[in-house]
Amino acid sequence: MSIPEFTQRPLRSLVAYVVPPTALLIGIVVFWEFYVDWRDISIIVVPPPSAVVERFFESPGFFWEHGWYTLYEATLGLVLGSTVAIALAVLMAHSKLAERTFLPLAIAIKVTPLVAIAPVLVIIFGFGTTPMIIVAALMSFFPTLVNAMTGFRDVNEGAHSFLRSIHASRWQVFWKLRVPSAMPYLFIALKITYPLALIGAVVAEWFTGTRGVGFIILSAHNNLNTPTLFAAVGVLAIIGVTINIVLSVIERRVLFWHESVRSTN
Amino acid sequence: MANNEYHVSLHDLTHVFDDGRRSLTALSSVTLDVPPGQFTSVIGPSGCGKSTLLRVVGGLLTPSDGAALVDGAPPSGAQRAREIGFVFQDPSLLPWRTVADNISLPLEVDHLERTRELPDLTELLDLVGLSEFRDYHPYELSGGMQQRVALARALAFNPTLLLMDEPFGAVDEITRSALRYELLRIWETHGGAAGRKTVLFVTHSVSEAITLSDRVVVLSKRPGRVRADITIELPRPRTEEMEQTAPFLDYAAQLRLLLREDAR
Repeated sequence: MSIPEFTQRPLRSLVAYVVPPTALLIGIVVFWEFYVDWRDISIIVVPPPSAVVERFFESPGFFWEHGWYTLYEATLGLVLGSTVAIALAVLMAHSKLAERTFLPLAIAIKVTPLVAIAPVLVIIFGFGTTPMIIVAALMSFFPTLVNAMTGFRDVNEGAHSFLRSIHASRWQVFWKLRVPSAMPYLFIALKITYPLALIGAVVAEWFTGTRGVGFIILSAHNNLNTPTLFAAVGVLAIIGVTINIVLSVIERRVLFWHESVRSTN
Repeated sequence: MANNEYHVSLHDLTHVFDDGRRSLTALSSVTLDVPPGQFTSVIGPSGCGKSTLLRVVGGLLTPSDGAALVDGAPPSGAQRAREIGFVFQDPSLLPWRTVADNISLPLEVDHLERTRELPDLTELLDLVGLSEFRDYHPYELSGGMQQRVALARALAFNPTLLLMDEPFGAVDEITRSALRYELLRIWETHGGAAGRKTVLFVTHSVSEAITLSDRVVVLSKRPGRVRADITIELPRPRTEEMEQTAPFLDYAAQLRLLLREDAR
């Protein structure tokens, strides 16, 4: 019996897109396991994958709890950083003066290695959740600013002229034309900034955290507990991949009209 | 000024694009009067300022010198009264909106239906023959269909003045010819109580200009000035067969000669 066309295609694309990377991942893990065993590498230096997995399943709740906490900090920071960036981008897209005022400072934030100012932020904001959120916000600020600014300006010339010809207000042009036109750019920004916010939160946790993946990594490192360290990193990777998948799914639904989505259909 | 004898009046219109380093004179002393209900084509070589002229009339561009009047007042007045319908060479639709939502975009900008009788969506869709495509998105339509959506969108306010900037320039020859006659049908039937709309139609196709127009204005190459102003006295409704008749071909020869002399 033949498989109907409509189930055949997704099946084929699933095979085409999922099998190769999965095979590669399994290959790496197997190689790693045997290599550590063969060279008799100490568990303190590099743990075998089996030990990492074993450590994770010993107390999955522990890892997820800290993972959630880091995700929560990163998300709050992302929301904060993106909100400020988008608000500034709106201002800068409408006013050259605003652009001249804010852009140099934004670039200064961009070129400053945030890891370097994390200790300063800890001094300023104390030992609560605030430093993590601030660092995550700073990490996500610049890409969002640049993408939003470009997006708000990248409007179809004719559509803009048409709206002007029927005397649409700036506000109407903004909501009906600029915001939807900026959406593809904002999705690109989000795919960059969410992982960056996670990095920001983890780095801040190294300095001040009492919870979160960064904190586990640091304390596991201090105790030479490499299986815990690797399991924590693994949790972080799983969170990152999940975010990416969720964003891609949302993107396909929101940007159904955009070339970037249609060309992959 | 209450002189409403002409719907569109251009007096000594000059426009210079100046970005501080270079200046480019697009239009030079263009004087043109268009009575209400007239279908006027503006033809000329590329870069002769045809589009600039249209943008000035539509109130999208303030001329450097001279005056542009619509209904005896600066174009911003007609723009504010939503009396201008603009169609561009690129359909310029909003890709995230369906055909129906694109056509009703103007009504979201201003709820004019409170003060003026407007065609409803079904009527507009019918008019451009896209009733079955109301829930499609622009990317699912051909170029010609997209341009029909743009036309319906321009008609949403039932404006008295239609400005068309090479609207069929980007579609294939066969579709182009079909759209031409469709536009004529719409223009001839869709006037309502106000009568036929005044149309300013920019093109560089000689046969398109003759088929559509009551009058063809030939602009010279840059800086654009009025080189010839020819009245097309072919009976209406215009038909495809007419394109092979002697008067049509005479007009075509005359216009081609004018354009060729200029291209030398």
